[in-house]
Order: sequence, then structure tokens, then C-alpha cells
Amino acid sequence: MKQLHRQEKEQFTKLFKQEAIDRFEDRLKVVEVFLNFEHHVTVGELTSMIGDSGVSLSPDFVQDTLKLLCCFGFAQKNRFEDGHIRYEHHHLGHHHDHMICMRCNKIVEFENEELENLQLTIAESHGFHLLQHKMELYGICAACMKDHVQIMPLTMTRQGERVVIKDFTCGSEARMRLLSMGLRVGDEVQIITNIGKGQMAIAAGFKRYVIGRGLAQKIRVIPVHKKNVSVGKMDEIHAAE
Amino acid sequence: MNSRKLIIALAGNPNSGKTTIFNNLTGAHQKVGNWSGVTVEKKEGVITRHGYELTIIDLPGTYSLTPFSIEEIVARNFVLDAHPDVVIDIIDASNLERSLYLATQLREIDCKVLFALNMADMAKSRGVKIHADKLSELLDVPVVFTVGNKNEGMDALLKKAIELAENTRQTPEGRKVHYSPDIETAVADLQNFIHQVLPEKLPYSERWTAVKLIEDDKIVHERILSLSGDHQQALEAQIRLARQYITDRFDDDPEIIMTDERYGFIAGIVKEAVTASARQRVDISRNIDLVLTNRFIGFPIFILFIWGMFQLTFSVGKYPQEWITACVHALSAALEMHLPDSLFKDLLLNGVIAGVGSVIVFLPNILILFFCISLFEDTGYMARTAFLMDKIMHAIGLHGKSFIPMLMGFGCNVPAIMATRTLESEKDRILTILITPFMSCSAKLPIYIVLAGTFFATRAGTVIFIIYLTGVVLSIITGRLLRTTLLKGLDAPFVMELPPYRIPMAKSVMIHMWERSKMFLKKMGNIILIGSIVIWTLSAFPRHIEYSRNYEAEIQNLQSRGALQMPGDAAARRTLEKETAAAMDDIKGQMQAEHVEKSYMGQLGKLLAPVFAPIGIDWRGSVALLSGFVAKEIVVSTLGILYVARGDNKTEALRTALASSDMTPLSAVSMLVFVLLYLPCLATIATIRRELRSWKWTAFSIGYSTSLAWVMAFLVYHGGRFLGF
Repeated sequence: MKQLHRQEKEQFTKLFKQEAIDRFEDRLKVVEVFLNFEHHVTVGELTSMIGDSGVSLSPDFVQDTLKLLCCFGFAQKNRFEDGHIRYEHHHLGHHHDHMICMRCNKIVEFENEELENLQLTIAESHGFHLLQHKMELYGICAACMKDHVQIMPLTMTRQGERVVIKDFTCGSEARMRLLSMGLRVGDEVQIITNIGKGQMAIAAGFKRYVIGRGLAQKIRVIPVHKKNVSVGKMDEIHAAE
Repeated sequence: MNSRKLIIALAGNPNSGKTTIFNNLTGAHQKVGNWSGVTVEKKEGVITRHGYELTIIDLPGTYSLTPFSIEEIVARNFVLDAHPDVVIDIIDASNLERSLYLATQLREIDCKVLFALNMADMAKSRGVKIHADKLSELLDVPVVFTVGNKNEGMDALLKKAIELAENTRQTPEGRKVHYSPDIETAVADLQNFIHQVLPEKLPYSERWTAVKLIEDDKIVHERILSLSGDHQQALEAQIRLARQYITDRFDDDPEIIMTDERYGFIAGIVKEAVTASARQRVDISRNIDLVLTNRFIGFPIFILFIWGMFQLTFSVGKYPQEWITACVHALSAALEMHLPDSLFKDLLLNGVIAGVGSVIVFLPNILILFFCISLFEDTGYMARTAFLMDKIMHAIGLHGKSFIPMLMGFGCNVPAIMATRTLESEKDRILTILITPFMSCSAKLPIYIVLAGTFFATRAGTVIFIIYLTGVVLSIITGRLLRTTLLKGLDAPFVMELPPYRIPMAKSVMIHMWERSKMFLKKMGNIILIGSIVIWTLSAFPRHIEYSRNYEAEIQNLQSRGALQMPGDAAARRTLEKETAAAMDDIKGQMQAEHVEKSYMGQLGKLLAPVFAPIGIDWRGSVALLSGFVAKEIVVSTLGILYVARGDNKTEALRTALASSDMTPLSAVSMLVFVLLYLPCLATIATIRRELRSWKWTAFSIGYSTSLAWVMAFLVYHGGRFLGF
């Protein structure tokens, strides 16, 4: 990588000199910092990084430089779904595709030889000469997916399980009722009985409630990650069953 | 006595120990009634302390003053409209955060509030220490520590309440909930508007009204709009505007936001006033619940308890029942001996004593049944039974809570129907009341025993079991039918708190038991007394009946013949005396039967005979069934009179008489079915009327059950005949 960057830097030096670009030293500084990023970066992020390295440059100047780099084909501007514009530098002969998480905006880069070749083949079969391509896959990242699956209605819980209330999807009157009885978002509850049909019994703190099936369906919970005592206790309960 | 009168209301969450404190304060000086217009129990007691006459009112237990249920509406209306001198808010110290929710709502209404910090000992054992002075200072409300179940702090509570009532200082302005600036703006704007539009007319404080209007409180909304006259539309627009303003800023309903903010305010107070140690104690109730509501063993345990309750009720109750029967017999025998023959004697013996006596024998059973039920309630098990039965009760379209009244119906319908008042939904209550009479009450059992015993001998048990089962099945069908037609219920979001398990206090169990039994005795006493007199009158009048035979002469004849033909031989004489006595009994019985036949009762029965003919019941049966309207117990004795049953053992004799009559097994089954289903007794009807507060539904109940009985009996009778029985 370092090798590649030095090559790129030399190329910039040559190009900038040819084109008689002003403030050559400053622009080289921008390029230097930019090339050290191995991920997508916004103008703001880059400006502050340059500031950290001891040189103070205006964001406008940084953006201008990045635009120049794009013109020369050394960098690429990407507009992501969240509206931010991020830049990434092209490695010579290198590029990667992106997977973007729509929940946490995390960007995952990936490369796949087969896919690259397939693209070339497809282009060729259409008599199309491929210069460049951009691939962005939108979806939910693994971490978010795990969370997402774990949010479930209270009715899906097992006896003895401990869960945290995440959300109420019921009407405001039912929500008020739950609130006034002391059941709130963020409360940890333990399932005492869940027979499968009919009402279920839960405990929150030193209070215990019976909740109708319909209402329980509208209480969204996530499991508490098992640790300490509760594990032992739950095992006991399972054993009892 | 020149004592000043003060009204003190007790408010608090359910299970906060409010009732215990009320019992401690008032002791036996309690009056139980209903809040006007609704079937929510109103308890009040008047006591004299420190030179004051204190009327203490136990408000229904509520979680908030937001009008979701009848209880909340009742409690709020009382505080708002009746202006009690002091409201004591019982705060469950072990559940401080939630208790304070109601407390902040009480503080928002401008009334004099006093906190009773109850069960602080329990909180302490859970590692929570509450600094009362801090709490008092933060909310600007006096606080008194109490321990309800140990009767501690009661006097201090009353002293403080009197002090507060006498304090002329205006209720403190500060220390109420302050909402976030945006909400405060909306409240202030609306408050200003109300101030301009409705000067002087406002029943509540301006701020509170504004807050409630923004929260879309239906009751306040309606009331204020009705007062606003010309400005109605402008006011509505203003309310909409305020609600919209908050919704836009917080992206949620205003009432939710404000509830959240109240909790935020409470969290701040709790943080200041409570020090909690890290040690987490085991929640014993939770562990008990893991067993008692367990999906596998919870139900068998429940069946065991119920079986135990019925065992206790009927096996232990049998002994005092015998004593009471003996007493009633002794009383009537004594009166028989000492009173001269007269119409009054007849009324007293055959009307009043026979009628009331037949009911009073059930007192021990009722007492034991209510004792068990009070025990279930006070330990907290009752709420669990409702939970366990919920799945099964859903077959009828009801919640588990309806199970208790229906179960009690097997004992007696009167307390069963009274027990329906624990149901929140009006429709659930109506439905439960309508199907409870199909649970065959204990008074019907003697009829089954006589009829089934006569016609099915060894298989009597099976027949009776099938009859009981028929009642249950028909109640399920009725429930489903009504649920999908007349009483279409929304499946309201259901949430109920399971009270903690507690060791019941003897005093409270006794008060519970006595209150219920008293009501039973009073109502039964009144109605049975009147009913018995009516039945007696119908069967005793007209006094002079033209008999088809001259019974008097025959009796005379028999007596004189016996005297004339007296043989010398002692053995022969004894035989003859026996024969004479038997003949006498025979004639007397026939005379009595003819008397009943020709009495108004008999005439009525004959009038109704065409109605009963298609279901295989003759006029005697119809008279007996008619008498069952007063109390089902009377059916058997009426049958006894009409079928001229004689002998020492009345039941045996009646069986013989029935067997030799023209009644067939099929018509007996038809009658059994009819008895199971037809209109409940007078006491039950009176209770239904009182609990439903509607003649329409009462009439429906009577009409439905009776027509169902007739149709079912008709089907059984003719179906049986068709099949060749």
C-alpha cells in the first residue's frame, strides 16, 4: 500500500506541475493526508485531519483540491443515501465495491474477482467498452441485522426469559394505561407464564402483571443478554419444565 | 357535642394497603354501598377523634386519575366535585415510583393532599430507604409513615389530616410538575384562552383544565365544551391547535409526552428522596407465581384448591346445617304446641318459618364459602385463578375474571352475581350475569335427587352429572351466541396487576366474609319472607273450598267407627288403631292435595298446564315449578304436597308417590332440564336487577332462560318419544 501511495504522489506532483496548479505544497499536503485514509471521507473530516497534522487549510481549499483529484481521475466522489458526499481515492488498478448499511450507515468494501470478470464479460457481449463502474449494495449490516431480529413481540418470549421493553405499538390509551400502571420503555421484565394462548404473566421489579394476548402482541421487547445469576435461574426453570 | 365535621378521602393504587388502613381507621363502623349510578363499591365510615367527626371514604383503588375505568372516574369525580377536606394518598413505599404517579396527579388538582407512606418496612427490607422529610419538602406535602398490617401510624395520620384540614393556608402553588417549555407554552396559551372565554364559570382550576384538554381527557372535554356556549367552536379549534403544536414538536401524542414528563419529574424526586442499596432481594411472590401459574402444575393446584373449598363448604357445613334444621324444627314444634289453631298460626308455621327456615339452613355453607373466597382474595390467589382460567373462558368470549362468579354460581347465584362487580367491562358483566344462572345452584340439587333417584335409581348419579354438564355447555353456547350478536365486545387491551402474595389478616378476612354474608342474609331474608308469604297465601286461599268429598265426615266416621269397633283383644286393637291412623293420614293427605289443587296456586297451575303439556309436565309439576320461582328449595316440598306423599321419610315417600303416578322417566328428564334452565329464583332476579341496573336486561335474562328451558325440554321430550323411550 505504502508503495502504491508513493507512486500516486509522484504522479500528482508531475501532473500538478504540468498544469501549473497554484499552492502546490498545500495541495500535496491534502493529497498526502487523503491517501492515508483507507476509507471514505467527507471534506469536513479531511479538513480536520489536515488540521491535526499541523497545517491549517480552509475547507473550501480542501474541497477544491479533491475536485481536482476527481478531474484527474485519482479520486471519486460518492453521494451516499444519507446525503453526505464522501471521497475515496483510487488505487491504481484498484477499486472496490461497497455495501452500505441503511440503518447505521456503515460502509463495507468488498472485492470479488469473479464479479469483476463477469462485468467485463457482460460489457463485452454488448460490445460495450467498460471504463469504470460503481457498485453500491444497500441493506442492513450484520450487526444491525442481529439487533433487528431480536426485537420481537412479548408473546414470542419463553417462560423465565428476561427481556427489556423497547417499544409499544398500541394506541395511546392502552399505552397510557401501561404507563400509569408502571410499565415503561426500558423496563426489564421476566416472563412468568406464557402458555401459548390467552393471557401471559410477567414480572417487572416487585410488580407482576397479567397482560392480554392482544396487548402483549403490541409490546416489543429484546432479550437481555444472559449473564450472572439469571442464567442459573433460567436453567432451573427449564429443568422444572 | 359541637364537633366539627371533616370529610377525608383515601386514595391510592390497588394493593397499596388502602383497604387495610381503612379497616384500621374505621373498624366496624363501616357502611358499604354503591357510588351513585355505578356498581362500584363505596365504603365509608364515621368515627369521632380529637373532637372531630370524621367521615372517611375509601375511594376505589386506581393507578391514575385518567378516566380509563369506572373506578378512576368515580375516584376523580369525588376529589373534584365533592371537595373532601383532605385527601390521604396511600403510597406504597415499596412501589414508590408508580405510587407517585397518582400522587403528582393529585397534586395537580388543587386539593389538600397528605401522603401516608405505607409499608416502608417492606421497602426497607428490600434495601430501599425513603427520606420522608426530603419527599415532603420536594412535593410540599406532609408525609406520615404507616404500617397498615401492624396498625402503626394511624393516629398520627388522622392528627396530621385534621391539622391540614384546619390549615387555612392556600394549597401550595409550587412543587407541581413542570413540563418542558414547549408544553408549558401550549398550556399557558390554552389557559389564557380559557380565561378569556370562560371567566368565572370554570368548575376546575384553569391550569388543570388546560392540561386535561390538551391530554384529550374526554370527560373534561365534554364538560368544558358544554359550558363554553358560543365559543364552543373557537375553543375546539384552540385545543386542536395546542395538541397539534405539541405533536409537531415531540412526534407523539401529547398525553404520552406529558405522562413521560410526569415520570421524569418523579424520577427526579425519587433520586433525591430515596437511597437504594445495591443488594437485590429475592421477590418471593415472583417465585411463588413461577409455581402457581406454571403452565403444567398451576392448573392441577388450582383444581385442588377449588375441590378443597367445596369439600369444606359442604362437608364441614353439614354439621351446623343439621343443628339449624333441628332448631327450626324445634321452633315450629313448639309453636305448633302452644299457639291456638288460627290463620295466623298457619301463616307463621307453613309460610314464614317453613320458607325462611329453608333458606337459613344454607347460612353455614354460605359463611364457609365466603370465608374461603375471602381467603383466596386476601392472599392474592384469586387474581391467579382468573389468569389460569382465561384460556378456557375465552371459549365463551369472556376473560378469566368471569370464572369466579360462574364457579360461585354452583353454590348460590345471589353471591355469584354480586361477585360480577369485579369485572371492568360492562358488557362482560352483563354476559356473565346472563349465563351464571345456568350454573346449577345447590338449591336445585334436592330436585335432581328426588326425580333422578325415583326414575333412574342406580344411574341417578350419571343423570345428575349430565344435567350439570348440560348447564355448562349451554352457558358456553349462550356466551358465544350473545358475544357475536347483542354483546359484541371489543377485545379491549387487557392488563391487570397480580397483587403480591400476603398472609391474610384475620380481621380483614372476617370483615370481608361478614359484609358479604350480611348482604346475603338481608336480601334473602327480605325476599324469601315476602315470597314465602305470597306462596302460602296462594296455596291457603280461598279458605273455603268445596271439596269433592266430605273429608270432615269421613274423618269423623273413621274416628267413631274406630271407637265403636274396639275389640277386647289387645293385639287386634293395636292393629286396628294402626289401620285407622293410616286411613286418617290418607284422607288428610287427599284433603290437603285437593285443597292445594283448588287453591289459587292450583288454579294458576291448571291455567298454565297447556303451556307445560307439550313438555310432558302436568299441572302438579307446573305448580311445583311455579313455586320454585320463590326458591328452588320449595319445589320438592310442593311436589310432596301435591303427590300426597306421606310417611316419616318425606323423600322416600315422595319417590314412591312419584313412581306410582303417571310421570314417566322421559317426562322426569324433561322436568330436570326445565328446572336446570328456567327462570332463577326471586332473590337472584332481584340481585340481577340490582347489579345490571336495567329492567330490560333483567327481563331478557328471565325471558331467555325460560324460553330456552322450554325449548330444550320440548326437544328432549319429543326427541325421546320419537326414539321410543
